[in-house]
Amino acid sequence: MRDTFERELEQLRLQVELMAVRVGESLERCREVLETGDPALADAVVAADDDIDAMLVSITERAYELMAREAPVASDLRLLLSVLRVLEELERIGDLGLRVAKRVEDQPLLAANPAIFDALDGMAAVARDLFRTASGAWSAQDLTMARTLAEQSQAMDSHYQRLLAEILDLEGPGAAQVAVAAILIGRAFDRIADHTVIIGERLRYLLTGDPRYLAAEVR
Amino acid sequence: MTSEVDRRMESESRTMEGPAEAPEALEAPTAQPEAAEQVVFQADDLSVFYGDFRAVRPLSMSINRYQVTAFIGPSGCGKSTVLRCFNRMNDPIPGARIEGRLTYHGTDLYGPEVNSVEVRRRIGMVFQKPNPFPKSIYDNVAYGPRIAGTRKGLDDVVERALRQAALWDEVKNRLKKSALGMSGGQQQRLCIARALAVDPEVILMDEPCSALDPIATGRIEDLMSEIKSKYTIIIVTHNMQQAARVSDRCAFFTTEVNETSDTRTGVLVEFDRTDRMFSNPNDERTENYVTGRFG
Repeated sequence: MRDTFERELEQLRLQVELMAVRVGESLERCREVLETGDPALADAVVAADDDIDAMLVSITERAYELMAREAPVASDLRLLLSVLRVLEELERIGDLGLRVAKRVEDQPLLAANPAIFDALDGMAAVARDLFRTASGAWSAQDLTMARTLAEQSQAMDSHYQRLLAEILDLEGPGAAQVAVAAILIGRAFDRIADHTVIIGERLRYLLTGDPRYLAAEVR
Repeated sequence: MTSEVDRRMESESRTMEGPAEAPEALEAPTAQPEAAEQVVFQADDLSVFYGDFRAVRPLSMSINRYQVTAFIGPSGCGKSTVLRCFNRMNDPIPGARIEGRLTYHGTDLYGPEVNSVEVRRRIGMVFQKPNPFPKSIYDNVAYGPRIAGTRKGLDDVVERALRQAALWDEVKNRLKKSALGMSGGQQQRLCIARALAVDPEVILMDEPCSALDPIATGRIEDLMSEIKSKYTIIIVTHNMQQAARVSDRCAFFTTEVNETSDTRTGVLVEFDRTDRMFSNPNDERTENYVTGRFG
């Protein structure tokens, strides 16, 4: 019964999965931008962001339509609400990636400061890993994977602390410029980690119906 | 009762031991209000038989005062049968009887000293199809009070009941006209007014809106939320959205089919706060029903 509705819900879930794939690709590119300073790659991230935004709008419309038409309850309602929340998180993650890519001109400056560069590279790697876990958890609707995200994100904190310490040690001409670029990029990676944790908590809410995970989202 | 959701919750809660993970204080407010409610009906292992056939499996539930309790479930699940136990409407059906115990404020509703007429005065009923008497609007509402011996102040009783049923303004200038000339929605509100006129404590409603259009349905639902501060309401409904809108607590019944004898028995699956039943039901059968995947 309600086969059509079930199919539509599955379509919606899949579309979010596809959007996550696109955001994931952008994050990989961001890391390459940071490593290579290749402006063509940065342009690709900018272009992909428009697609990601368009996906957000179209999936949101579809979710609204299903809500209006099907009056969903229980797990169906949780899925639709979670789709909307996860979409927002994915879009935010995409935007933060974009913020990193837009600093492409600072790359040579950062690369000339190995300690800072190393900390940022570590953050980029953690962001990528967290995002892989989050999108994998969504694809498989996997509670165990979702649960690991909060713990996994602690790795980001230690990199971030290291980055801030290195920034404070900067001196000489150009230090301010390096500091600004490093803080902006580091902050973006740190926020990406936060958003992946929200995806994990939202998935836990979706799969268990336990409202405590809604509280976990806003911590 | 160990549904998939249950198992997930269990496996989940085992891992939530860290202090930041399990904010216990968040859970407490949801459990508290229920304990303070005054119980009007208490069913213990109540089951209903038609002759030798058990129509409803033993169930236990309590109905709280000044709340709307909804019974939902597919056709033939026993929800109306159970509802009719609450004012002994099954009594006239040959062979119908109950087992177990059903108390009303602690008194056994089926005890030998209990007068079924008095039961129905205190516990009124509104049926699926509006069933006004072929009399005037006034006489319909005044019918119960007259039988109860009220002579003086009848006009006031009628006006109060019609006002409570949100019908007064529509009919105050044609009280002597036939009730059969009213619209279906008005007739149903008249039946509610008729039930209210004898000043009952409980109103049982058996699919009160299924013959009404959405506007008339909306009026009845508004009416229910207005009068529930003074009355205890139990409603049987096929309309799950209606149950979600109007009820505080919700009971989900389902049907168990016996293939050999081709008989159907009603079973109470889950009884909980309505918000929980529609957001995160415990039993997979409830989840399947409320999401429309039943069957």
